[in-house]
Amino acid sequence: MKRTFLILVCAFLAFAPVHAATDGEVAARRTALGIAGAFTNDGFKLRDGHWSGSFAPGKPEIVQVNLYAGNQYWFTLGATPPAKKVAVSVYDETGKPVKIDADHAFQDNSVAAVGFSPENSGKYFVKVEIVDGAAADFCLVYSYK
Amino acid sequence: MTGAARVDGLTVPMPGEFMAALNKLGKIDWSSKFRIPIATSYTSRPQMALNLGGLIADGYIAIEAQDGQQVKNIGRDVITLATALGVSKEVKERSSSIEAFAEKGEWDQLKEELEATQNEVKQAMSEAKDQDLVTLVTVGGWLRGVQVISGQIAAHYTELGGKLMRQPGVIEFLDQHLDKLSDKDKDDPSVRIVRKKMGDIEKLLDFPPDKAPSAEQVKELNVITSDALKEITKKQK
Repeated sequence: MKRTFLILVCAFLAFAPVHAATDGEVAARRTALGIAGAFTNDGFKLRDGHWSGSFAPGKPEIVQVNLYAGNQYWFTLGATPPAKKVAVSVYDETGKPVKIDADHAFQDNSVAAVGFSPENSGKYFVKVEIVDGAAADFCLVYSYK
Repeated sequence: MTGAARVDGLTVPMPGEFMAALNKLGKIDWSSKFRIPIATSYTSRPQMALNLGGLIADGYIAIEAQDGQQVKNIGRDVITLATALGVSKEVKERSSSIEAFAEKGEWDQLKEELEATQNEVKQAMSEAKDQDLVTLVTVGGWLRGVQVISGQIAAHYTELGGKLMRQPGVIEFLDQHLDKLSDKDKDDPSVRIVRKKMGDIEKLLDFPPDKAPSAEQVKELNVITSDALKEITKKQK
């Protein structure tokens, strides 16, 4: 069922063309980087790329990534103030949620982050959503080591 | 999961991520992965873009090998190709800091600088409405990365190493974008070779998560990617 859900959601998502970032996306990125920067103290390298856009309550957005077994990852989501509480979660390629240890999850209003080490190399999906609040701009970044 | 491919900035892993995973399997002599300097004067823009991607991947290898001189040599070749493609401004702005980090042996900063350079080059190509070139730079870099890593894993085969090669999502993503190239670019001899080889590569890289490819399959992958790179670095007649 979850797999079907992911297929359906992803099927509607076209490849995002490069576009000029809005002020909101820039602000969301700044918020995400504020938290992701802390992981670099722990030896994580922040990937230069990012994914940004806008999302609304009840309408999560999903991005596909390719991760390598053996590496550790942190995905950090930042959003603009209309979003009062946001969440980020990870799914494997079958649509099964990846278990995140409590000490590898961070949430503070419009910022959320999760960390994990994939068991297998391959495709994963990262879901970002608004738990509380109104439509907002968001930015997702990730770090690895 | 057709249609799940998303953004170049996150969906295709950077060479540094692959190398970080590979480094955990054991010490690697990265300097043995250098290749003979490739030509930097081509007449075809798609071929230039493919080779620019390959050169950027060479830069990551030089950084892993902690060879400052090699980083600088590759940097000069990157500028030559970027100039021919009209995106030298982005590279030149970063080149002095790349040289400075290479002089001081600041390898982590160099990796970040190289990654930023790569992204800025792609951004400049996108802004110039040249999405085809973005795709080809990505493909060229990815091919060179797979060639080096498959060579390493084939030479020191373990199941764990073999499983690391698994990248079904990346293949899907690259295939989709190669299919979207203009007919003119699709007809370029270097692009034709790459598209043909991608099918063979896909068969070898899209295996179940719990099953490792055999040593022979990894060797085959190395041969295919080596052949593809050899062809795309040849000057067209």
